[in-house]
Order: sequence, then C-alpha cells, then structure tokens
Amino acid sequence: MAEAMTTDGWEPKIIAIVCNWCTYAGADLAGISRIQYPPNVRILRVPCTGRINPFYILKALQEGADGVLVSGCHPGECHYITGNYSARRKFAMLKRYLTYIGMEPDRTMFTWCSASEGDRFAQIIKGVTAKVRDLGPARKFVKTL
Amino acid sequence: MENVEKKMREEAGKLLADKKVDVVIGYERGTLPLTATPCFITSPEEAEKLVYDATCVQNLAKFAHDIISTHREAQKKVKPEDKRKKVVGIVARGCTSRSLVIHLQERQYDRDDIVVIGVPCNGYIDAKKLSAAAGGEEILEGSISGDKVAVKVASGEKNVSLGDVLADNCLTCRFNNPVISDVMVGDPAPAKPADKEFDKVDAFEKLSIEERWAYFVKEMSKCIRCYACRNACPSCYCKTCFVEQTMPAFVGLSADQTDTQIFQLLRTYHMVGRCVDCGSCVSVCPMGVDLRNFLKKLDKDAFELFEHRAGSSLEDVPPLSTYRENDKEDFIYHP
Repeated sequence: MAEAMTTDGWEPKIIAIVCNWCTYAGADLAGISRIQYPPNVRILRVPCTGRINPFYILKALQEGADGVLVSGCHPGECHYITGNYSARRKFAMLKRYLTYIGMEPDRTMFTWCSASEGDRFAQIIKGVTAKVRDLGPARKFVKTL
Repeated sequence: MENVEKKMREEAGKLLADKKVDVVIGYERGTLPLTATPCFITSPEEAEKLVYDATCVQNLAKFAHDIISTHREAQKKVKPEDKRKKVVGIVARGCTSRSLVIHLQERQYDRDDIVVIGVPCNGYIDAKKLSAAAGGEEILEGSISGDKVAVKVASGEKNVSLGDVLADNCLTCRFNNPVISDVMVGDPAPAKPADKEFDKVDAFEKLSIEERWAYFVKEMSKCIRCYACRNACPSCYCKTCFVEQTMPAFVGLSADQTDTQIFQLLRTYHMVGRCVDCGSCVSVCPMGVDLRNFLKKLDKDAFELFEHRAGSSLEDVPPLSTYRENDKEDFIYHP
C-alpha cells in the first residue's frame, strides 16, 4: 500500500459496486492469484447489477467517493438470467444523463467482468484508478455540510 | 374551440346521465383571469361549468390516478357484496392521454376504469410568458379570440399573439391529439413542427462540460424543494416518494446544495420513458427552474437508445422494464 501513496497525500477513493456472482468472484480470483492492483478501490457486493439503484452511485459521489465503478456479469451470463440486461439500460441512461448535466464521464464507470477474469479485474481497477487520478478529487455533488 | 367546448360538455353530461361514469375530471374557469382549474363533476347539470381552451394547463391524468387509487384503497374495508367500481371520465388532450397510457402500461388501473373524452389541443398559455408579455403587471382581465390574447392591465390594454405565449413544450408538441379516446370531441388539431423538438437539448449538449455543470447548479440553486413538480407530475404516483422515505433516508434534507441537486436529478431520472412533456412540473414551479431542459434529454435518449416514446401506445413496455440483447453498450469500459 505504501508505494501507492503519492506525495501530496490525495489518493482517489473508488467505490466498486460489484455483482456477487461474477465480478466479486473475479476480484477474489485476482486476490488468490496474487495479482497486484491499486488499493484505492472499496468493494461493495450486491446480489446483481440489476439490484443497484442509480441512487447508490450518486450517494457514493455525494459522500466522498472520487469515482464509482459498477461491474457485473457479461451480458448473457447473469445468474438471474436478465438482471444485467436491465442494468445495462438503466446505466446507459444514467451515464448519458450525468454527462449531460456536466459530470465528468470517467467518474462513473460501467464494465463487465466474469468470475474467471481475475486478470481483467486487476486491469479494470488499474484503468479506472488511473482515469480518476487524472481527473483529480471529485468536486461535483460532494456534500460538505 | 367553442365548438369543442360545447361538444365536450354534451358528452360529459351524457356520460354522467347514462351513469357510465361516476365523475368527470375536466377544467373549470379559474378565479384569476385567463386561468382554468381542474374540476370534478358528478352530475349532468354541472357539465355546463366545464371549459376547454388555451388556459387549461394541468395534466388531469394525475387526478384520475388519485381518484381510482383512493377509491380502491377505501374499497378494501368494504364487504365483498357491497364492493363497487368507480369509473372516471376524463377530459384528455394529447399529453393527458399519454399519461393515462403510462398508468395503464404500469398496471395502475384497468382500461375500463376510465372513459377518455379526447379533445384536440393547440397548446396552452404559459403563465410566465403571459406575465412577461403583459409587462409584469397584474392581469385584471383577459380573453382569447382566435390566435389573439387580449389582456387588460392597470396601464391599459395589450394584445399578444397566442403563439408567443404558448408554453415551450406545446410549440414542438408531437402528440397534440389524444393517443387513446373513447369519445373524441372535435376535429384533430393540426400538427406542430415536432422535428424541432430536441433543438434545445442538442444546443445544450454542445456546450462545454463546465458550462453545462454551471447551468445545472444555477438552475438547481433556485429549487426550494416544495415538491410541487412531483405533486403535479402524473407519473409521480408512488405512495411513499423516495424523498420522504426514511430508514434508510434516501435523500438528505439539509440545506446543502447537493441534496437538492440529487433530489432533482433522481426525480427527473425516474422519468425515463415516463415523461410525456406535458409541462405540468414547469408550470407549477414557483421558482421557474428549467426542468424541461433535463427531462427532454431523457426523452431524447430513450428515443435514441430504445426507440421509445413515453405513452405513445398501449402495447409498449416501459423501456427500463425490458431489454434487447443487442442494446447499445458503447458506454461500457474495457481496460
């Protein structure tokens, strides 16, 4: 963890809302395989991406997350058959809408990662962390009171 | 319009006299000049007070939902043999009928719970535009004849063109005739230049990200969270709205700007595939928040991504309740 700390003291804080059946297991595999990835991610496990209320994403941003990542099963591989298909529609609308009102598109990321893709999980976290690091600390929607 | 009004009264009176409906929801003259207010009539004699012209603003579908859901709730306490149905007659123009379709799609009530008296619509007057046209003075009297609006203010009389004071959503309305109706009154209204529908959204999209954010913050800072938009919206019918939900409390109630921003963002997001652009929220907003700019974006996206137009047909499924395997995924991140 020490080598990931930068000198100015700010580290991106990323909430990863992941599906229990694929990405969470993928993260587990990354850990078991001892693949290194940035420690900036906080994982929140949900039964399915279809269960995620878009409000969770906004709440995370409001409460101080610099970026939010949502990851679930690849389309067609949902444990509940269609959960991620519904989620895909929800998030397509949400991401476009957030971009429209002036949110940086890279603050909210959506991806798929299956249980066997430990390496991909590490790559995703690396990529998302780098993107959020480039953006700097979140300023929009951050609750100060 | 005179003719439409007369026929509408006849039809409403007939439905009540024939006991086909228990109540008719329509508009009556408001207490202020050039206003109309929703009214509920239960006897054929009252049909005379119904009006229909460019001063009728609110989307009446809200009340159909209210009446039917309240009635159904009350019926739960009634003995089975005494249970009765309540049929609501409703004066519906294009947007109202689309809201009714949304309620039906979402299984809020059955098709035979409502009798739709369809009326053609040429748009309604935006009170804020009219007030500006009257120089901000109090309107003492007003009348509409053809496409001219005559208003009397303290400093004299003014004539404005009806087209100049129509609400923004009416100017580019695609559905100015009812999509469903049991009784259609009058001839269909002429089409509006609907191809300009998303012009404002397109222009807004071209602004820089910081300009867009600044506009969002500016608009939302006006909001006093009176929830008038939610109460007027025909698609906002949840018994417990997320803003009032506690345990867990969804949206904070603090004076922090982000709480208001998130409330507005989520309320508008709930309108994906459900906003019919009736302008009720905009017309009731006491602070003049530009909600339409944001709602229209969702309308545009739902159309672009899912070819869905809110409430345009009874066979449609709400876009977020369904999916296609080949839905666009260009937003998905691949490392």
